[in-house]
Amino acid sequence: MPDYNLNTEKPTISFKQVHKWYGKLHVLKNINEEIYSGEVVVVIGPSGSGKSTMLRCINGLENIQKGQLIVDGQEINHPKTDITKVRAEIGMVFQHFHLYPHMTVLENIMLAPLKVRRTPKNEAEKVASELLEKVGIPEKARSYPAQLSGGQQQRVAIARGLAMHPKIMLFDEPTSALDPEMIKEVLDVMKALAREGMTMIVVTHEMGFAREVADRVLFMDGGSIIERGTPEHFFTNPVEERTKTFLRQIL
Amino acid sequence: MNYNFNWMVLWDYRELLIQGLIITLKLSITSIILSTVIGIILGILRLAKNLAVRLVASAYVEFFLNTPLIIQLFFWYFALPMIFPEPVQMWLWEHNYEFISAVIGLTIYTSTFIAEAVRAGIQSIDKGQQEAALASGLSDFQTMWYVILPQAIRVVIPPICNQFLNLTKNSSLAMTIAVPELTHQAQAIEALTFRGFEAFTAATLIYIALTITISLLMSRIERWSAKGQQIVTA
Ligand SMILES: Nc1ncnc2c1ncn2[C@@H]1O[C@H](COP(=O)(O)OP(=O)(O)OP(=O)(O)O)[C@@H](O)[C@H]1O
Ligand SMILES: [Mg+2]
Repeated sequence: MPDYNLNTEKPTISFKQVHKWYGKLHVLKNINEEIYSGEVVVVIGPSGSGKSTMLRCINGLENIQKGQLIVDGQEINHPKTDITKVRAEIGMVFQHFHLYPHMTVLENIMLAPLKVRRTPKNEAEKVASELLEKVGIPEKARSYPAQLSGGQQQRVAIARGLAMHPKIMLFDEPTSALDPEMIKEVLDVMKALAREGMTMIVVTHEMGFAREVADRVLFMDGGSIIERGTPEHFFTNPVEERTKTFLRQIL
Repeated sequence: MNYNFNWMVLWDYRELLIQGLIITLKLSITSIILSTVIGIILGILRLAKNLAVRLVASAYVEFFLNTPLIIQLFFWYFALPMIFPEPVQMWLWEHNYEFISAVIGLTIYTSTFIAEAVRAGIQSIDKGQQEAALASGLSDFQTMWYVILPQAIRVVIPPICNQFLNLTKNSSLAMTIAVPELTHQAQAIEALTFRGFEAFTAATLIYIALTITISLLMSRIERWSAKGQQIVTA
């Protein structure tokens, strides 16, 4: 985290004593975290530790029951907050892509700009084409998702997330469903994005990615953030026993 | 058995059969259109976020789904007018109320089956589609309209087609409330000529021709709706 952020700037995302339950299951326990503009934060942790849930609270796909979550100056759980406005500023990329199968690649990318921002069609198409260029598959514009490889689909999903010119990008295990030979092409796109200064929160176990571009790593277990630090810290001297055990398993 | 067939009566009374066919068509097509619109709306409302909306839609569906159609027809035809003052009743009877009540009955009855098909179709679409659409900033309505329904429609067309066939066949029950549709007219020919076998054979063949036509039309629509997605299912 760059020092100049510390006092002068408000965090883009701020968790204050956030709790969440699914019924009786306490899945987020007292989350306190601040994420600043331009930061790349990698979230790691065992299955079921609440990584996805934490991510999905940020754009209101899940509700929190206690505490305060402020995103882009808006209190997410406040009844007066127009959640669609907040979501329009946040791109999200899922493990299983979730591209719209009945639309072409271009239509997938253009849908939100056309319907939410009411961008004129030719302008939306121009932006979508540029984004496809950026993720390296301009030739697939008129294809349907089912005609693409997994890696290509995920790159389209990233382009779709970027189409609204978001302030924040959320990634939930974007490479876990991919064949090994396709992981690199997706990570390369994400690294480029990180270097351009995009604010990113990435749930991933790709520690190579973390080492290269992450500003900070959060380790979650049992619904809490157990340990936080730079990627270097996690590679060289993790403190918590659970962190060490986990890292031994994935490295 | 020494029944002498006389198929000529059908020719002599062709006017009645044709009039009956026209009424059956009017009744079926009107009810098909209305029940489709209402059924789709109901199917969506059954999945609404708002509990009250969901309960009302579910109560409607469960109630009319589980009542015999003929009772519903009798209710709309005999019972409903009673709650209106006499002048309104008179007006209703002067304005072909038997046809109107048959449309109401068939529409409401069939809309419940269509609502169930639509609900199942929507629920068959991967949750991730909805999440991706909402996450991109689309409203609930936009998500339904641009992302979920276009995918659900493919799943839903075959069961809805079956409901159209059922509705067309069920329209024959309208004869019990004096709608001069096809079955009614076949019965009229029987009463006039005692040629029941010929009259009802003719009606049967016309119904079969109708249902085959509907099936062919619907498979056309099905193929058309799948066009954009052919590669997906491949
Ligand atoms: N919709 C839901 N209803 C009930 N429980 C849920 C729901 N979604 C997740 N959970 C539970 O909440 C806990 C946290 O789940 P979450 O998906 O956030 O974990 P995760 O860290 O992302 O795990 P993974 O690495 O497997 O994706 C788990 O115990 C999970 O079973
Ligand atoms: Mg997860």
